[in-house]
Amino acid sequence: MELLQIIPQFFVSGLTFGAIYSLVALGFVTIARASQIINFAQGEFVMLGGMVTFFFIKSVRLPYLLSAFLAIGVVIGLGFLLHLLVIYPLRKASLPILLLATLGASLFLSSSSALFFGTLPKALPPFSGKDLIEIGGVSLSAQSLFVLIATFFVLFLLYLLSHHTHLGKAMEASSTDPLGADLCGISRHLMTFLAFGVSSGIGALAGIFITPLFYVSYHSGTLIGLKGFISAVIGGWGKYGGAILGGFILGVAESLSIAFIPAGYKDGVAFLILLLILYFRPKGILGSPFIDSRRW
Amino acid sequence: MVEPVHQDFRKREILYSLALWLLSLILPDPQLHYRREYGLRWRDLFYLLAILLLPLLFSDPHFHHLMVLAGIHGILALGLTLFLGYGGQISLGHAAFFGIGTYTTAILTTRHGWPPFLAFWASGMVASLFAYLIGKPLLKLKGYFLALATLGFGEIFLVLIKESASLTGGVIGIFGIPWFSIAGLVFDTYLKQYYLVWIVLIGLVLFTKNLIRSKVGRAYMAVATSEDAASSVGIHVSRIKLEAFMVGAFYAGLAGSLFACVMSTATPETFSLNLSVLIVMMVILGGMGNLYGPIVGAIFLTWLIDTLAQYQDYSLPLYGVILILLLIFFPDGMGTRLRVRLIYLISYWGRKKRREKVNL
Amino acid sequence: MAFLKIQGVTKNYEGVKALDRVSFEVKQGTIKGLMGPNGAGKSTLFHLISGIEKPDLGKIFFKEKEITSLKPHEISLMGIGRTFQTLQVWGNMTVVENVMTAMHSRLRGGVLSSGLWLPWIKREEDRAMKEAKEILEFLGLFGRWKWFAGQLSYSEQRILEIGRALGTRPELLLLDEPAAGLTYGEAKDLSERLDQLRKKGITILLIEHHMGMMMEIADEIVVLSNGILIAEGTPEQIRTHPRVIEAYLKRGRQGCSESEN
Repeated sequence: MELLQIIPQFFVSGLTFGAIYSLVALGFVTIARASQIINFAQGEFVMLGGMVTFFFIKSVRLPYLLSAFLAIGVVIGLGFLLHLLVIYPLRKASLPILLLATLGASLFLSSSSALFFGTLPKALPPFSGKDLIEIGGVSLSAQSLFVLIATFFVLFLLYLLSHHTHLGKAMEASSTDPLGADLCGISRHLMTFLAFGVSSGIGALAGIFITPLFYVSYHSGTLIGLKGFISAVIGGWGKYGGAILGGFILGVAESLSIAFIPAGYKDGVAFLILLLILYFRPKGILGSPFIDSRRW
Repeated sequence: MVEPVHQDFRKREILYSLALWLLSLILPDPQLHYRREYGLRWRDLFYLLAILLLPLLFSDPHFHHLMVLAGIHGILALGLTLFLGYGGQISLGHAAFFGIGTYTTAILTTRHGWPPFLAFWASGMVASLFAYLIGKPLLKLKGYFLALATLGFGEIFLVLIKESASLTGGVIGIFGIPWFSIAGLVFDTYLKQYYLVWIVLIGLVLFTKNLIRSKVGRAYMAVATSEDAASSVGIHVSRIKLEAFMVGAFYAGLAGSLFACVMSTATPETFSLNLSVLIVMMVILGGMGNLYGPIVGAIFLTWLIDTLAQYQDYSLPLYGVILILLLIFFPDGMGTRLRVRLIYLISYWGRKKRREKVNL
Repeated sequence: MAFLKIQGVTKNYEGVKALDRVSFEVKQGTIKGLMGPNGAGKSTLFHLISGIEKPDLGKIFFKEKEITSLKPHEISLMGIGRTFQTLQVWGNMTVVENVMTAMHSRLRGGVLSSGLWLPWIKREEDRAMKEAKEILEFLGLFGRWKWFAGQLSYSEQRILEIGRALGTRPELLLLDEPAAGLTYGEAKDLSERLDQLRKKGITILLIEHHMGMMMEIADEIVVLSNGILIAEGTPEQIRTHPRVIEAYLKRGRQGCSESEN
């Protein structure tokens, strides 16, 4: 009996987390669509979004909105730097090397953040007060609603970008066929550079959304990044829609799992779902244009 | 050798040539495709002697401790090199097998009174078993997805260890693991542990050498280069990948067992993603497809981490930066073209002098 | 008994019909040629026979047993060897090792025994090396046995692939354009060797664009065009077959401007 009442609540809070995971996943997909690279430092961008905003508010005493915008700008700058200093020099390197390089960057970012901002977890005040809205017996904070709306808005913007702008198409082209894109005058490296900027911006946004709901500290980046990646894979790697779908599925599944298993195992749920998906349907739920499922 | 133009060149030239000759004796050959070391050469004897005599030359216990760790890392790197270096597959969760080995030994010796020697072998086998269970579904994946899945496995493992307090002591871990001992000989000092670890390592190196030059090694390399071609000659590709995975895990389990007996405690924090990344770095820096390379990589990185530790808070960021720099400058491994680069470096003086003389 | 039987095989790739109800047989001890303009589906057929892909419709029988759904290594163990159109030589192993790897399934030994280098492992290795060297000698690559496969010239690597396929002691050999990139003289040598293989009782299914070689050495020829089998018969019959001439010349006459036919 009690369970039935709690489940909708968990479901709704799961949606909120799902939205955040979706944003992180979108970051991954953006870069992958431009260059077939997977940026393991994506989670750190999320973390830094929240951290830098906090820094601007508390230490520089700027108003909330301005801090948020500045933070996004800073993180986008970091994204560009990451590309220039790490990805571009390794443009000819093989897979394990790129992987480790982004992991190294992730390590650098998280430990530098501990250095700069201290190791204590930080929290931000919610956007519009602590009011809860009641919808059909379930309470939802205004913050959560805001996050959900914003996520879909970002998705919409990305969709516009990739399907209706020249730039978006160029980015896709350079991912699918780098040589062909080169021959058409599209600079693969420029595309990747821009993709890094876009995805770090999205990540920072996700960070700013999540910090009022949940503490952020220097090491939160890794786990969030992984869950974002898992979401992207679950939904169908390489598709924006897949990222969103996967994010929500993961968020809800995680939240619901708290009702059934001890809280400490919550993080394990994500990886369990990942293993299940990779085993039974590696292309993801919506299918993936990138994975060759021949002889899985 | 070039005929010296002036007499005062002669001495310097001879010195350089001598230095180069000495270096060429002890450094491994530059990589030509994937070089494999068949049979034993004089150079191997030199390495063996160096390893056996080293602790006697430097009697600082901190150095011994460091080399013990380096040896354990070497065993880890050696195991991973079969899977990653020769087999061409990526695993970012290898630290989990290390952890499994450590905890197996810890549990068997502290709770069930097993002698460390038996626990040693059991650790290897338990790690292998886990590798089988995990590998069967995971190894269907390739590239980034395999890397991600192994990373996921590593993280789950960490979570599980921390949560099952009754079995593993949770976040605190297990204490009081006895020293390693065989037939009455107890390895309680760093010096003794050094020899224990390095002799195990040498034994495993010989074993691995044999594997590489047998049909097993050929199968691994074949699968790494072209799975289609390998299956067309009758190699069961997924089984070979699983086998390489299990062998690598076995080595990691052994390394974990030694680690437990050296550290006397088993804590979950040691088996993090950072360690998995570290082991992969050792293999990459050593050179893929190289046998001694990863061991040298292990020594180097162990030393590096120890040196960085003194920078306290700055150690991790520095580590991240150095990692990235090493990857940018040595993607083929540090030993690659090392001889050539060193020759270039040493001969710099001679060439500079010659240029000056010519410009007169 | 039909040694190799292809029955009603159809394969689609994302809307493109690579093969459409293709059926033919190969008799044991003969060389059957597989011809057709580019894109006819010849290599696809090889992938289907060797198990790398599965047909959407139809069956494949080898020595009266159905092999349609077997995995590639199982098919290899039954006695079918192949080469690849895109060269898949193992460049980071030596020439002789490439051939020795093909004997993997016939050599005894596992991880434990190999690692400990038990005495019989050495015997197996020597045996394998001897046999590999014999194959290399047969193909004329003996002088390079110690070289890394990546150091060989392109045509030598192609011949090495045949050697590797021979290492499995196949009864049926699928050769995908073995003479590509070979000079006229080298192609003639290859023809002779294929003839010797036929005399030893090995059956060969041969994709080749080298018309001279094909006509000379094949016992029978099958012609595909756009996935459809358009002709089957002796080289003489094929040479004068109207549909074959049409398939080859039509492309040349009207060029690429014609829509996909």
